[in-house]
This record gives sequence, C-alpha cells and structure tokens, in this order.
Amino acid sequence: MKYRSLALLSALVLGAGLTACSSSGDAASDGADGSTALDVWLMRDSVSARFQKEFETGFEKAHPDIDLRIQIQEWEGIGEKVTAALASNDAPDVIEVGNTQVAQYAQSGGLTDFTDRVAELGGGDWLEGLAEPGSYDGKQYGIPYYAANRVVIHRTDLFEKAGVDASRIKTRDQWIAATRKLNRGGTQGIYLPGQNWYVLSGFVWDEGGDLAVKSGGAWKGGLDSPGALRAMDFYRRLQALGKGPKDSDEAQPPQAEVMAKGQVAQIIAVPGGAKVIEEKNPELKGKLGFFPVPGKTADRPGAVFTGGSDLVVPAVAAHQEQAFTFIRELTGDAWQKKLAVAMSYVPNKTTLADAVADDPGTAAMAAGAANGHATPNTPQWAAVEAKNPIKEYMTAVLTGEDAASEAARASRTITETLGADS
Amino acid sequence: MPTVRERSVPRAAGRRRPPPTGRSGGRGGAGRGTLWPYLLIAPAVLGMLYLLLYPLARAVLISFQDFRLRQLILGDARFVGLRNYRTLLGDPGFWEVVRRTFVFMAVNVVAIMVLSTLVALMTERLGRAARTVVLSSLVLVWAVPVVAATTVFQWLFHSEFGIVNETLTGLGFESYEGYPWFAHGGAAFGIVVALIVWQSVPFAAITLYSALVTVPTELYESARMDGAGAARVFRSVTFPLIRPVFMLVLSLEVIWTFKAFVQIWVMTRGGPGEATTILPVYAVQTALAGQRYDLGSAASMLTVLLMSGVLVLYFRQLFRQEGEQP
Amino acid sequence: MSTPRPPLRRTLRRLPLNAAAALTVVICLFPVYWMVTTAFKPSTDIQSYDPRPVPRSWTLDHFRTAVGADGFALFWRNSILVTLSAVLLALLVALGAAYAVARMRWRGRRQFMLAVFVAQMAPWESLIIPVYIISRDTGMLDRLPTLTLIYFMITLPFTVVVLRGFIAGIPPELEEAAQVDGCTRAGAFRRVAFPLLAPGLMATSLFGFITAWNEFTYANFLIIKQQDSRTLPVWLSSFQSTFGTDWGATMAAATLFALPALIIFLALQRHVTAGLASGGVKG
Repeated sequence: MKYRSLALLSALVLGAGLTACSSSGDAASDGADGSTALDVWLMRDSVSARFQKEFETGFEKAHPDIDLRIQIQEWEGIGEKVTAALASNDAPDVIEVGNTQVAQYAQSGGLTDFTDRVAELGGGDWLEGLAEPGSYDGKQYGIPYYAANRVVIHRTDLFEKAGVDASRIKTRDQWIAATRKLNRGGTQGIYLPGQNWYVLSGFVWDEGGDLAVKSGGAWKGGLDSPGALRAMDFYRRLQALGKGPKDSDEAQPPQAEVMAKGQVAQIIAVPGGAKVIEEKNPELKGKLGFFPVPGKTADRPGAVFTGGSDLVVPAVAAHQEQAFTFIRELTGDAWQKKLAVAMSYVPNKTTLADAVADDPGTAAMAAGAANGHATPNTPQWAAVEAKNPIKEYMTAVLTGEDAASEAARASRTITETLGADS
Repeated sequence: MPTVRERSVPRAAGRRRPPPTGRSGGRGGAGRGTLWPYLLIAPAVLGMLYLLLYPLARAVLISFQDFRLRQLILGDARFVGLRNYRTLLGDPGFWEVVRRTFVFMAVNVVAIMVLSTLVALMTERLGRAARTVVLSSLVLVWAVPVVAATTVFQWLFHSEFGIVNETLTGLGFESYEGYPWFAHGGAAFGIVVALIVWQSVPFAAITLYSALVTVPTELYESARMDGAGAARVFRSVTFPLIRPVFMLVLSLEVIWTFKAFVQIWVMTRGGPGEATTILPVYAVQTALAGQRYDLGSAASMLTVLLMSGVLVLYFRQLFRQEGEQP
Repeated sequence: MSTPRPPLRRTLRRLPLNAAAALTVVICLFPVYWMVTTAFKPSTDIQSYDPRPVPRSWTLDHFRTAVGADGFALFWRNSILVTLSAVLLALLVALGAAYAVARMRWRGRRQFMLAVFVAQMAPWESLIIPVYIISRDTGMLDRLPTLTLIYFMITLPFTVVVLRGFIAGIPPELEEAAQVDGCTRAGAFRRVAFPLLAPGLMATSLFGFITAWNEFTYANFLIIKQQDSRTLPVWLSSFQSTFGTDWGATMAAATLFALPALIIFLALQRHVTAGLASGGVKG
C-alpha cells in the first residue's frame, strides 16, 4: 500500500504548498487603515534590535501615515539580492548598501538621484568617506548612513603588567616597541592575520602610496611603489610580534574570538568588535581599551579605510516621497547621535563627532576617521576584490618570498583586472 | 499483497536477465498507435520546454548581447555578435584555465568513481546492521551543507589552529608547525580535491549500491561455480549489469566537477596564484564580479560545449543503445 | 541472512570487510563529527591553538542561538513544503516518463531520452538571469511555487534516467502474468513493479531532497521582498555579521539542517531492505 500513501501524501503536500503560497503572496503593499507601508532593508547587525524598536516607535509617532516595515538582510548573497530588487517591479523603498557598492548600482540606472535634495539633508557636513563613494558622475545617489573604521583594541591589564602606557603610543616606532614588550611568555603582542589587506592599505596610504593609481585615463596597480613596499615591510615586522596565521584573514577565525581566548594583547578591528569579545569572554569586561592606529609621525593618526553604509532608493520603488522622509529622519542629527552611541559608529556628519566623545572606542575611531581613505573609485574594483591578489601577495611575502617581485606581480594582476573592459 | 509473487521476482529476473538484447520484439503492447506514451511523457516534455529550453534560449541570447546590470534593470540590451566569445577566447589565460579544469575534472572523477564503486561493493556484502551504519554515514556526509563542510576542511588544515598541523607536529614532523597549506599551489589543489571527493562519493556510492542490489545473486553463484575469481566476477557479471547506472553517475560527476565552484571560492578564491582557478571560478572573476552577465553567459555556454566534448561519445553510445532496447 | 553458520570462521572471514567498513565510516564521519562537536563547543574553544578531537567542555548555547533566530519555524515550513513538493512532483512526472520509455515503443523515444540526458548538463548557474526575467514578467517573483518548479526541473532528468533503468530491469513477463490474473495494466505495474523500484526510488528521492534542500542561489535571487517566503539556507547564513561569522551557531544550524535527509533515508531504507529480504536470496 506504499504507493497509495505516497500519492496521497504528494497530493496533500502539493495542495498545501499552493494554498500556503497564494495566501502569503498577496501581502498588501498598503496598510488597511489607509497608511502607506514603507519597506526598508537594513543589514544584519547594522542596528541593534533595541535601537530598531526605538526608532520604529519614534518614526511612526511622527509620521502616522507611514507604516514602517524594516527587514533585516543577511550578508551572504546580498549583492545578488539587491540586484534582484533593483530589477524587479516591486522593489523595497529604501536599501542600505555598502558605501563602495553604490557606484555600480548608480551606474546601472537603478537608483533615485537625490542631488537636488542634498542641501535639505545637510549634505555639506557629510563625511567625505561616505558621501564621495555615494555619488556617481557628479550626482548623489547614496545618502551617508554611518561609518566605521579600524582602531587598535587592546588589553589594558596586559599593558599595565608590561608597563606600557597606551595613551603614549603615537607613532609606529613606539607601537612596535610597545608590542615587542608585550609579546612575552604566553601573550601575543598583537594578533594580526597575514591577509588583513585593509590594514595594509592603511600603511600604504601612510607612505603616500595607493593600491592603484589612475594615470592618463588608465588604472595601474600600485603595490610595487617604494612607499607600498615600505608599508608591507612594516606589516611584516608587526605581524611577527604574535601568532597570527600568515595564510588567512581576520574572519577565519574571527579575530574577536581569538582575542577572547585571553592571550592576545592587541587586535586591529572596528570598536564594535570589543562587544563581541566581552560577550564571548565576560572576564575581559572592563579590560579593553582603544587607540587610533598610530601614524608615521605623532601629529597625525595612521590612515584607515573608511567602511560604512549609504541608504539608496530604487528608481522603481513605489513610495519615493515616504522613502525620502525615512532617510531624512534616520540620517538626521537627532537619530544619528543616538545611533552612533548605541552602535559605536562614526555619525554621518563631521559636526556630530561630539556625540560619541564619551565612548572611548568610538572616540578613538572618530580620531582615526580624520585620516580616512577609500578603495580606488572605479566600478571594476569589485573585480579586484573578487580575485584579491593583495591577500596572496601578503601571504607570499610573509612566508619568505621576495617582496619586490611579488609586489610587481600583484600590481600587474591589479592593472589587468582594472583595465578589463567594464 | 501476495508475498509469494514478490518472492519469485528476483529469481525470474535472474533467469531472464543475461541476454538483454534478446527481447527487442516490441513487447509491452504499445506501438499500436496509442497516445499513451505521449501522454505519459507530456508533463516531462512540457516542463523541459518551459523551464529549461526557454530560459536556455534566452541565456544564449544574452551571450550575444551587451548585457550588464543596466540592461537587467532597464532592459535595452544591444546585440554585439560574437564579441563576448572573442573577449573570453582572446584571453591568453583562458586556455590555461581550460587545461587546469580538465586535469581537475579527471583527477576528481577517477578518484570518485574508484572509491564509490569500492564502497558500494563493500556495502552490498555487509551484514544488515553494518550496512545501515555505512549508508547512514554516507547520507550524512551528503547532507552536510557545503558551507559547513568547506569550513570544517578549512579548519582542519588551518596553519595555526588546524588539527592536521597539530597532529603532524606531534608525530615529529616539526616542519609542519604553522605550515600554510593554502599558500602552496599543490597543497591547496590537493585539499580542494579531497573535499570534493569526500562530498561526492556518497551520492555515487549510494546510487551504485542501489543498482547493485538489483543484480540477482544467482548470477554470482553460477559464475563462481564456473571458477571465476572476484575480479573476474566483477568484470564479467556485475559490471555489465550496473554499467548503465555507472555510466550515468560517471557522466554526472564529470558535469558536477566541471562546475565545482562554491568549495573553491570559499577556500582559495582560485589561488594561490592561479593554482585552483578552474572555469567556473574564472567566469565569476572575469564576469560576474563586474556584473557582466553577458560574459558569464558566454562562459557557461563554452563550459557546456567543452563538457559535451567529453560526454559526446557517451551520448552517442546511449543513442544507439536506446535504439536496440525494447 | 538467516542461515546459521560456524560463527568464528564467519567472523574471521568477514574481518577485512568489516575493517574496511569501519575505515569508511571513520573517514566519512570525521569532518561531520568535527562539525557537530563544534556546535557544542564554547566559542573560545572553536578554533584553538591546541585543537582537540574531544571538546573540553560542552554547551547548548549555539543551538539556542540557532533555534532562536528570526523566522526559524517559518523557514523550516517553507523548505519542507518546497522540497517535498518538488521531489514528489519529480517522482510522479518521472515515473510516467520512465515507464513510457522503458515499456513502450513509440516514435521519438530515442530523441526524448537523449534530450533527458543532455538536460543534465543544463548550466543552471547562468540560467538564473533568464529565469529571473521570465518570473518577473509573469509575476512569479517572491513566490514559493516558482522555487518548487525550478527544483523540480533540476532533479527531473536524473530521476527519469534512474527510474527508467530500474523499470527496464524488471521483466515485463511479471506484469503480464499479473494482467492474466485479472489486474489492469496500471494495477499490474503498481503491485508487481513498484516494490522492486524501491532502491531506485530511494536513490532518486534522496538526490532530489538534498539538492532542493540545500539550494541557495535561486532561493536568494527569486524570493526578494517576501521575508516570509524564505527557505532554510538563508537561515544557515544568518549568523554572519560585520564582526565575522558565529561559527558555533552556524555549525549548530548545519547539524540541524543535515538531519532531515538522514531521517528521510532511514524511512526509505527500511523499504529497500524489505524489498531485498522478500527476495529471500541475500545473505
């Protein structure tokens, strides 16, 4: 009788599948009480559940005609998902995208142009590292949302034990000396995985170099410039003062978890990482401190990569005006201050930096943000990251290959990738 | 259900099986102009037409167009003839990637087929409990999500945190202290192969096993009585009977290893250097990272053509066989 | 299986075989074991400078995180619906086609089989854009039946080919005898041939189930705005954040994710061995 139950089961499942779907497929885009439903996509962990709730309540009170529906998106496969949304007939109204991703979506014609409303949003004070990548061809598509950059997270107790004063580390030489002192016994002076190319990029910018430079209309890889080679040499010296794996990046294993094990004196990460460390190992609560990545000289912090997000509105979104209202609120001064404090972000405007002065991590980050940089501004850069010759170059040098020839090779690869017709 | 009849089934099969070509006499009652066979295949044909052929035709179309994110959103694609194919074929690195893909495919497929045949033969001879244990572990391996499996392999071979280095160092091979496996082309290639073989053997072994269990035991017995050794029995009795399934699995593994992507992408991104860059990885690096759907489409059309080159003999033979069977 | 034999000799004779089986199981399961134990390790032990085969301490935290994730129950429901519908649809459609190919003679049969074989080469990774465009233009985006149809199509060719092989292996005389006994043609097939198809059904339904269950790319691309229509692979990747991936939770999720396939196998496997035992010739 197996076949009969199988047939029955299949009929049941098929039937259930179809009805279940048709009933969930018609969720109305407008609320029952005449209010407009506004669909917003934010990224996983870009806001905490608590902040989200607070914002939703506040927003809907101020705008009772809008029914705000925030959906949290996952990082995995987000590029494809945003693409699919922009090309669909029924896109969400607001999407958070990485600041370096805006250009390629803008280029495709899928985003709403906000150029003539920049002033209304107070765009004059926006962080350069968010506003500039959010524009394409002289028009503003991405509205700065928040920024974050790397700082040094350190163990105050280990520093004290080694007799090192973190507040006096202002230059690279002092940093190396201090780290060497810390790197004793079971303690690692610093956990720096071999492929943290954002950190290397900072050192390269410090030396006046860049990952790629545009000359005569063509991009050319820049890892083989004398400055970039000095940067790699510094990275090698620093990396040796700990047991960071030479062949993987900061995500494999997650460096916050390595630090949570308790034998690491420093890592280079966004300050939010400290929360993860404390969560994984509550014993470290209150023993974590922050300072900006030291520069070459004491008068200027080290260069860092400005990461962060912009908000964009798909051209096909149904509720353009309400979407703008949402953006104006979330990127406005009041909520930005709260967001920066709640999430340890750098707010989207330079004028709001004071809001985070009380938080040591965010303050260190804001100090470093003054010397923030971005990856080369070409849509083809995504292809370089997909292949990432920089990571391989770093591993090669750290495992003893000749730096100059490896750098030349990596630069050639970058040049070829950027030069490919895009 | 009458047990007696069931009981008689494999015996009858055993008697009837050996000369498979002997009964091509149009048995089965169809062929007298009835519509039944066409009704029976209609859902499959309709499905293939609408869900496969139609999208495929559009994919071919895209490969002749200038089709990027912009065209996906705004939909004003322009024909560019063979430009995408010229771009790919004109890349001096392309043929090197093709060569590597073939090596990769051959190594994997040979390993998968040999191991899974052995496992299937072994499983068939096991007692009931042991068989269930072996099959269950195969199913578990098969069911493990690719991302989990890939990550675990990455961890096992991690330079600082991996148990492989820890064990090797513990055994006295001091040079493996912190040995960066993924920084060496050969080692990285080997680990990727190990992962893919490990993930692929369960499907192949279970499918071959399910074919093996239908081979009537009488055939073995009579062959053994004729004095044939184990290898001989396999060659002249078992293999011919499971041959169709074996060839099917073989062709599927050719197709799948040709398209292996996620494992390589997560582990090595095609590196170090180009050591693990095979066609799908190359396609994503050149085409999809820049949202060049046209190039990506062209690359997979080329992949299909290359794969057909490998499988064309198999298809021809199938076509002929189909003509012979009832 | 039931014949009594001299136990010692038998054990000795089977020793190499059982040793090989044990080795197979160990090689298969070691990475699986690593995944499962990771799910039980406290985060700080997951990647340790001193990796150990047996965890120092155990925790259920990761399972709590995994089960407590947003939409957990809903994603399970969706995945089960989509996967089972796709597998059963493929089995029904394939059974008809396989029977027609294996048992009947008709014009176009060779061409049909060749088409089915070639269909296995379909470049699904680049069909996603056309499939997306077609679904968009027919209003099928964001709907689970779209996924069901895609998974049905991905698994159909394999199912047809394997079932055809199994049906062809069953001598038609058996069914004819049943027909003489008064069964209809369909009844004869059901009573006589269907039980013998059990191994083939097991292989194909496992294949269909695991393929559809794990599929991420189409599920990610075709289900856009309906958060409620997402499937489980999305859940699997929901433990990544800007600070890295919560591997403990991911492995716990992966463990739970792999279990249904095992359950399905164990359920099907009983019938396979039953079919064999009824043959009464094994052992």
